[in-house]
Amino acid sequence: MKKSALFAIIAVFVALVVVACGAPAAPPAVVQTSAPVIQTQIVEKVQTGAPVVQTQVVEKVQTVVVEATAAPAAKEKVLRINLGSYPDIVDPQKSSFVNEIAHLNLIYEGLTKFNEKLETVPGAAESWKYNDKATELTFQLRPGLKYSDGSLLNAARYKYSLMRNIDPHTAGEYAAITDEIAGAPEWRGADLSTISDEDLAKLQATVSESVAALDASGQPCKEGADGYAQEDCLTLKLTLSRPAPYFHTIMGIWVSYPAKQENIEAGGDIWWTSPKYQIGNGPFILKNMEPFVRARFEPNANYWGDKAKVPIEYAYITDSAVAFQAYKNNEFDIIGLAAEDLETVKADATLSKEANIYPGSCTFAVMFHQKKEPFTDQKVREAFAMALDRDGWVKDVLRGLGAPTLTWIPPGYPGYKTSDSWGFDPDAAKKAIADSTYGSVDKLPEITDTFSDTPRNRTRNEWLVSKWKEVLGVDVKLNPVESTTYTALTKDQATAPQMFILGWCADYPDQQNWLSVYWKTGGFGERIAYSNPDFDKLVDEADQTVDPAKRADLYEQAQDLLIKGAPVAFMWNNVNSYLVKPWVTGLQLTPQDAGWAGAQVPTSIDIDASKMPSQ
Amino acid sequence: MARFLIRRLLWLIPVMFVVAIITFVLMHMAPGGPFDKDPSQRQVDAVTQKALNAQFGLDKEEWLDFGALSKGDIVGFFDTQFFTYMIGGTVKGQWRCGFICGNLGLSFRQRGLTVQDIVLKPPEGKAPWDSKAGYSLRLGLLALFFAMLIGVPLGVVSALRQNTPVDYASLFIATSGVTVPNFVFGIFLIIIFAVFLHAVPVVPTSWDSPLVWILPTIVLGFGLLAQTARLTRASMLEVMRQDYIRTARAKGLGERVVVWRHMLKNALIPVVTIMGPALAGLITGSFIIETMFAFPGWGRQFVTAIQQRDYSMILATTLIFALLIQIANMTVDLIYTFLDPRIKVN
Repeated sequence: MKKSALFAIIAVFVALVVVACGAPAAPPAVVQTSAPVIQTQIVEKVQTGAPVVQTQVVEKVQTVVVEATAAPAAKEKVLRINLGSYPDIVDPQKSSFVNEIAHLNLIYEGLTKFNEKLETVPGAAESWKYNDKATELTFQLRPGLKYSDGSLLNAARYKYSLMRNIDPHTAGEYAAITDEIAGAPEWRGADLSTISDEDLAKLQATVSESVAALDASGQPCKEGADGYAQEDCLTLKLTLSRPAPYFHTIMGIWVSYPAKQENIEAGGDIWWTSPKYQIGNGPFILKNMEPFVRARFEPNANYWGDKAKVPIEYAYITDSAVAFQAYKNNEFDIIGLAAEDLETVKADATLSKEANIYPGSCTFAVMFHQKKEPFTDQKVREAFAMALDRDGWVKDVLRGLGAPTLTWIPPGYPGYKTSDSWGFDPDAAKKAIADSTYGSVDKLPEITDTFSDTPRNRTRNEWLVSKWKEVLGVDVKLNPVESTTYTALTKDQATAPQMFILGWCADYPDQQNWLSVYWKTGGFGERIAYSNPDFDKLVDEADQTVDPAKRADLYEQAQDLLIKGAPVAFMWNNVNSYLVKPWVTGLQLTPQDAGWAGAQVPTSIDIDASKMPSQ
Repeated sequence: MARFLIRRLLWLIPVMFVVAIITFVLMHMAPGGPFDKDPSQRQVDAVTQKALNAQFGLDKEEWLDFGALSKGDIVGFFDTQFFTYMIGGTVKGQWRCGFICGNLGLSFRQRGLTVQDIVLKPPEGKAPWDSKAGYSLRLGLLALFFAMLIGVPLGVVSALRQNTPVDYASLFIATSGVTVPNFVFGIFLIIIFAVFLHAVPVVPTSWDSPLVWILPTIVLGFGLLAQTARLTRASMLEVMRQDYIRTARAKGLGERVVVWRHMLKNALIPVVTIMGPALAGLITGSFIIETMFAFPGWGRQFVTAIQQRDYSMILATTLIFALLIQIANMTVDLIYTFLDPRIKVN
C-alpha cells in the first residue's frame, strides 16, 4: 500500500516534469492570450474530480492544440502593462488608489473627461452649462449612449452614481469630493447610529432634488428601472450649494462613473470582483480579472468615441527586479521604472531610449510654519528658500527622479506658470537674513527640521540642513520622529513643526484644486497657518467666475500673490517614470497618468507589429 | 490515545490566544492605519473616516474599555476590538460571532470581502483549488515532493559513498540550500531559465501551465531538500553500523535488499517526522517566493495585508498558520507511534 502510494506520487511528479520539458519551445505568453475563454471552459469540464497535478497536464495538452491551430497567425496585438499592486477594490464610488483608478478609467467614463492637455472635454455629456452664478450645472448627455452590453445609458444612471457616492452607507474614501452638491455634506455626514429613518430620508430627498435627471420636456425622469430605460432622459441638472464653475471637471473623475444599480444590487458587497457586473461605458470592457495574475480589457465596440485599437492586459508584479527582467524579456510593453534600475537603464543604449521620465501630478515644498518664529518673518523664509539649489537637489538627492520647481501648480496642469522667485541665490539669501528683523543668523531662535525617520528622509533632510549651514551659516537641528507621530503632528496647526517637507497631488486638473483647496484660509494649508485675506479674496472671486479666461486670470494673480509671499520653499515636482517598448505607438503622456504611461488617453495607443522582434 | 488528543487539542486554545495577543500588539504598534494615505494626498475626510471606523468596529477601544468599566459595564469592558475579533461583538448594531465561530472577519481594504472570501474563494469560473489557499497548498505539496524525491536519494547515495566526490557534491548542494537566501536563488533561476534560456516566461500569464510551476517549486523546496539530504545521510550512516545490518549481510542477502528493506526503511523514520512541520512551513513560509514569482497565493496576500494594515487579514492569517503548524506537530507525534511501536504518546 505504502509502496504503491509512493509510486503514484513519483509517477505524477515525473509526468509533470516530462510534460513540462516536452514543450519548452512553446511561448506561453502569446499562445494563451489567443483563446483564453475557450481554454478555461474546456479545462473546467476535464478538471472535475481530478487530482491537482493531473489537471495541469490536461491543460498543457490543450495549450498545444491551440497553438497548432493558431500557428500561422501573427502575434496577437495586445498592450501588456505591469501595474504593480493588485487593486483592493474596483468600485467607482469606493476606490481611491491609483492602481484601482487605472482599472476604472478603462471600464467607465464620466460626464466629462480629460484630454492629453488635461483640459476638461465632453465625455458622456456632449455639453454643459452653468447658470450666471455658477450654482447650477446642467449636463446634456449624448443621445443613444450605450453600455458595453448594449443597454441604454442615460442621465438616471449618473444620478444613481452620484447619489451612491454621497450616501453615508457607501462611506467612499473620496465621497467628500462632491460636497459642492447642495445637501451632500449633510446627508453624507449623517450619524447612522443615531439618526431616525425619517430624518435620513429627508436628507436624501434634498440631495435627490439637487441631482435631477430630466427628460426632454424638463420633467423628472421616471424612477427605478423605468427611468433607466427612458431614452429621452438626457439632462442632468446639479444644484450646487455654492458657486463652483470647476465642478464639471470633478464630474470627469471616477466617483461619478455609472456602474449599474441592478448589478451592484445583484452582486452585493462583492459585485466589483466579477467582470459580469462590471458593465461600463468606457473605451474598454473588462473581460477577466484574476487576483494577482492579470486582468484583460477588450475594446468596447459600443463606445461612442474613438474606439480603442488594442486590448490591454494588466499584470501585478510588485517586485521591481522581476518586472524589469520580464520587460527586458519582452513580456511587458510598459512597466514602471524603479529608482534602483535608473542607472542601469541610463547606461544601456537601448533601454535609455525606452525610458519615459516626465513630470507628475505632485508638488513638494519645504513648509515653514507662518506663526512659529523665525518663519513669521518673510525675509527669513526668503533666505531659507534662496539658499537651496533645486537643480542640485534633484541631481544629488532625487537621483534625477524629480523636476525642480519654484511654483505651486505643476507643469502640464491648467494654471501652470513658470516662476523665478526665490530660486538659488546665496548672496541674496545672506542679504535677506541681514534685512530681516533678526539682522543676523546668530540672533535667530533655535530652528529644527522635523521629518519622519526613514533612511531616505534622513538623507533628504541632512542635505537641506547642510545647505543652510553652507550658504547662511545657520545651524538647523534635525528632528527625526516616528512616522505616525509625524503624520499626527503635521495634520494640525497647533502641533505642526517649524518646518517640514510636504507636498500636494492633484485630484482633478483645475486651479481650484491647487489654490482654493490648499491655500485658502481653512484649506489643507491651514496646518502651517497660511492665511492671506487678499489671496482668499482672489480665489473666492475666481471660484465664482464662470468665464474661463477671467477665472484663469484671477487664479494666476492668486498664485503670483502666493509665491510673492514666499510662504514655503517650492522644491520639486515628482516625475512619472516608465519604460515603454518602441512598438507602442500613439502614446499621449500627461502628468495625471494613473499607474502607467499614457493611461489618461488609452484609446490613442496602438502597437506597430513590424517593430516587434520576430522571436 | 484519546486522552492525549483531547489534551493536545485543549492546549491549542491558550496557544492560539497568546499568538493572537502578540500579533494584535505588533500590528497595532506598526504606524498608520488601513485607511491612511500618503501624506501628500487628499486624506479620507473626517466624516468618512468616522463612518468607516464605525463600519469596521475601529471606534472601539483596542484592548479593554476602562471607560465602560468605571461605569460598571462589565460587558462594555470587554467590548473592544480584540475581543470583538476573537470572540464576537456588536458592529454597526449587529452582533457578529468572531474567530471562535470560524469567522475570520471583514477585510479592511478589500471592502465587502471577508477574509474567507479572499483566501478560500476561487476567481470566477475557476475550480476550488484555484483559490489563494489552494494555490499555496499546491505549491507547498509540490515543493515537498520535490524536496523528498531529490533529497532522500541524494542523502542515501552520499551515505553509501561516504567521503567520495558524490558525497562532497551533495554536501555542496545541502550547504548552498541552507545558506543562499531563497530570494537570491529565485532571481538567479529567473535570469538563467527565463531571460537567457527562454524556457519559461519571467511572469506567467497563467498558472494553468505546469511549466511555470517548476521554478517556484524548486526555489521553495530547495531549503528542505538540503535539510532532507543531510538528515537522510546522517540517519543512514547511523543505521549502517547497526547489528541487524551486519546480520542481514552475514546471512547473504543481496545488497539491494539490505539497502532498501533494512537500511532505508529504518533510516527514514526521522525524515518522515520532519515532513509534517516542513509541509506546514512550506505552505505558510512562501511569502517571498510568492511575491517574487507573482504567485497568486495566500502568502502574497498576507504580505500585502501587512503593508496595508489590513488588521483582520493579518490576524486571521497568523492564527490559521499557527493552527496549521500545531496540527502538523500533533500529527507527527501520532505518526511517531506508528513508525516506532516503542514510543507511547502518554
